[in-house]
Amino acid sequence: MSAPAITRRALLKATLLGAGAVGFGVHGLDAAQAASGADAEVSSWIVIRTDGRVVIRIPQSELGQGVTTSLAQLLAEELDLAWGEFDTEYFDAQINRQRHNVYVHTATLNSWSSDLLFEPMRLAGAQVKAMLLTAAAAQLKVTASTLRIAGARIEHAASGRSLGFEQVASAAAALPIPPAASVKLKAREQWKLIGQSLPRLDAEAKCTGAAQFGLDVQVPGMKYAAVRQSPVFGGRLVSFDANAVMAMPGVIKVVAIQAGPSGYTVPDTLWDIIDWQMDDAVAVVADSWWLAEQALRALPMVWDEGRHAKVDSAAIATALDAALAQPGQVMRSEGDADAALAAAAKTVEAEYRYPYMEHAPLEPMNCTALVTAAGVEAWAPTQYADEALRIAAYAAQRPLKDIKLHLTLSGGGFGRRLSNDYVSQAVQVAVQMPNVPIKLIASREETTRRGYYAPVAAARLRGALDAQGRVSAWRSHVVYGRSPVQPYGMSRVPFAIDNVRCEYSSVDTPPPFGWMRGVAHSQSLWMNLGFLGELAEAAGKSSYEMQLALLDETRVSRQRADADDAVARIKRQKALLETVVKLAGGARLDERGKGRGIAVTDMSYVPGYHSSCVAMAMDVALDGEGKLRVERVIAAVDVGLAINPRNVEAQVQGGIAFGLSNALYGQITLRDGRVEQGNFNDYPLLKMLAMPKVEVHIQSTGGRPSGIGEESVPVTVAALVDAVHAAGGPRIRALPLAAQKLVPRAS
Amino acid sequence: MTTSLKVNGKAVTIDAPAEMPLLWVLREQLGLTGTKYGCGIGACGACTVHLDGTAMRACQIPLEMTADKDVLTIEGYSTNGLHLLQQAWIAHQVPQCGYCQSGMIMAAADLLKRNPAPSDADIRQAITNLCRCGTYERIIAAILDAAAQMRNGQSA
Repeated sequence: MSAPAITRRALLKATLLGAGAVGFGVHGLDAAQAASGADAEVSSWIVIRTDGRVVIRIPQSELGQGVTTSLAQLLAEELDLAWGEFDTEYFDAQINRQRHNVYVHTATLNSWSSDLLFEPMRLAGAQVKAMLLTAAAAQLKVTASTLRIAGARIEHAASGRSLGFEQVASAAAALPIPPAASVKLKAREQWKLIGQSLPRLDAEAKCTGAAQFGLDVQVPGMKYAAVRQSPVFGGRLVSFDANAVMAMPGVIKVVAIQAGPSGYTVPDTLWDIIDWQMDDAVAVVADSWWLAEQALRALPMVWDEGRHAKVDSAAIATALDAALAQPGQVMRSEGDADAALAAAAKTVEAEYRYPYMEHAPLEPMNCTALVTAAGVEAWAPTQYADEALRIAAYAAQRPLKDIKLHLTLSGGGFGRRLSNDYVSQAVQVAVQMPNVPIKLIASREETTRRGYYAPVAAARLRGALDAQGRVSAWRSHVVYGRSPVQPYGMSRVPFAIDNVRCEYSSVDTPPPFGWMRGVAHSQSLWMNLGFLGELAEAAGKSSYEMQLALLDETRVSRQRADADDAVARIKRQKALLETVVKLAGGARLDERGKGRGIAVTDMSYVPGYHSSCVAMAMDVALDGEGKLRVERVIAAVDVGLAINPRNVEAQVQGGIAFGLSNALYGQITLRDGRVEQGNFNDYPLLKMLAMPKVEVHIQSTGGRPSGIGEESVPVTVAALVDAVHAAGGPRIRALPLAAQKLVPRAS
Repeated sequence: MTTSLKVNGKAVTIDAPAEMPLLWVLREQLGLTGTKYGCGIGACGACTVHLDGTAMRACQIPLEMTADKDVLTIEGYSTNGLHLLQQAWIAHQVPQCGYCQSGMIMAAADLLKRNPAPSDADIRQAITNLCRCGTYERIIAAILDAAAQMRNGQSA
């Protein structure tokens, strides 16, 4: 009963790793391939241009998280390149497919890049170095061990001779790639690039307007498509009256787009993780996107709104409540929570709720596509280019080999771009207008109303205090809207409590599911820690005192199957919690109307999961009218190894802004089956005015890197909720805060 | 209908409906894609340009309003290498995804023209552009830094 169910996420990870183990490091290029082009592809990871310039291929999507820079640091380190002595380009999903996942890990999710690519990137650099030196040794008639790379050249110190990379690139490319076991990676003390706060490679282009996002793709002869999916989730297109808009300026054509897969479900793939679909849609093609959008707004459309036509947020809440009233699936059970609750000196019970949230990346969903007799070419800002390739093939009903996918920069992702709905839409339009490049853009309103949302959730928590005021039982039951099974957020609560029971349920609600930065930890951590605060109050303690009391490794039951993992998590979290309190100068603020919230978490999905740990102290001020201001945030982060500390800092700052924005304002609601919000006027984002001062303290404890893209999001929400109460505000049991009165409690 | 205006110092004549927002003229007809579409309602500021020297949201400027006026976009902001403000942006490693940064820089340039010595609070009040990545603190640091350098007569 109590065995933890493997999460889909863990399964996905296992699948990715498995695929990597098969594919990585075994693919060599044949000699013809190596000799054919002017630029030499020495391995799948490195191209050497005719002028000797090295191009490092980045097998991830750049969403702003700095992966281009950090992954290049890893490879350049082993290839003995100095910073700036190379260029980068993004991987080609077709090459990755043909070479059986040679890039190991390409889906850009789960803050995995620096963890899963830590060895592969370095190995690729070391392998290419060995190949270049072997080729150079043959040319110079010396042994490879007498050569070294400096200044992006190969030098033979004894004779003073040197070769440019371009002089050996073709010969090197024709060599077999040395087996991983034969290549020795540098020892840590030899590192010159890894661990340094090197400047981002994309910073300048992003300050001059030169950076090319998906929206900026320009193809000669390009036309523009504006798109509208069914306004109700699951609705079907009945008809539209193109004649009504064909006379409008610039309008070229009105086309239908069919419902279908937008991720993970396309035939001929390994992937069957979650079922991502999109609905029927209509697109207007015009000479200008703005003209297309005007015509689309004027276009008469008839929809069969289907069975979700009357669904609203109240109905969804009722469905969650109904599930809460039933027993859930038991995800964790230790001791006897019910007996401890019955025997308690005091019990506390509370319900918490989380709304749907939209990722709201600033670049709206878009894709450019061209369909010709030769095949399909698509340009997409996507987090999952391999899947975009498959979606494009499916949408065009063409074999995978006929697809060319250009991965572009993304104007933010946050999980939204894991679905490739916009790729299918653009390709479907392009199929109906062969030989015409089509840039399809979803308006901000369409992007907001047809998202893949972080799911709605509700939880009921019950806790018991024994006669000594210690927590003797913890029961939770969480219900999610449509979602893969993801109990970890609630059930991985780290505290040493003898009697624990965590239940999980889900309800198949209409809005499609999406992973969002912070994933289910965002829904759950603040609920768990908020409720712990309620228990603390009942025991006459502060939330921080109670956290410390329960982060006690000596109280972990040795009967737990995961006892070692539980002890390790507790030790790490407790140490970081104490660190952040020390940095903040104490656990509380003794100033009227102000409060300091304290929270800590890792991002553990399953026992043994390698994750970062983040502790936070957040100071807020709450005035008599209930106006909240977040003044200062101190974050202590343990990231294992920080490849680029300054980028780690940026990710933590960004995660805090993301968490605050979501907790303060984020809320997608439904009425008559439709999303009520559409743009930043009714789905507000955090502004500069509301951004607190943030201090980030990085502990680079060695070992290997762990993720930091999303780890600061859940703990931000938890610290905020704790701080509001510490400032004399109400218990927060639902988000967002902006929708509630934060009137100070009568003291 | 045709409209004549100056974009980044160059005279251009545009054939497009009078009510078409300048944003789309810049992006689609002139290929100046540094100015971004984020919301279309003047909320996010990703399309901030200068119209006759004043920062405005290009998605809210109908083409007809630009007749005989000067438009400055991120592409034309610096005529000689990188402007001090852009240098400060890079020195402070501001951009993450970077999508909002053209608009941020154009908004900051406008602020510094009106207020060469802004305080932290002035900057927060003046710049209402949205950044979903949360680069706000580094933006503030970059503006303060650039302002100090520009006051010291190092203006590019």
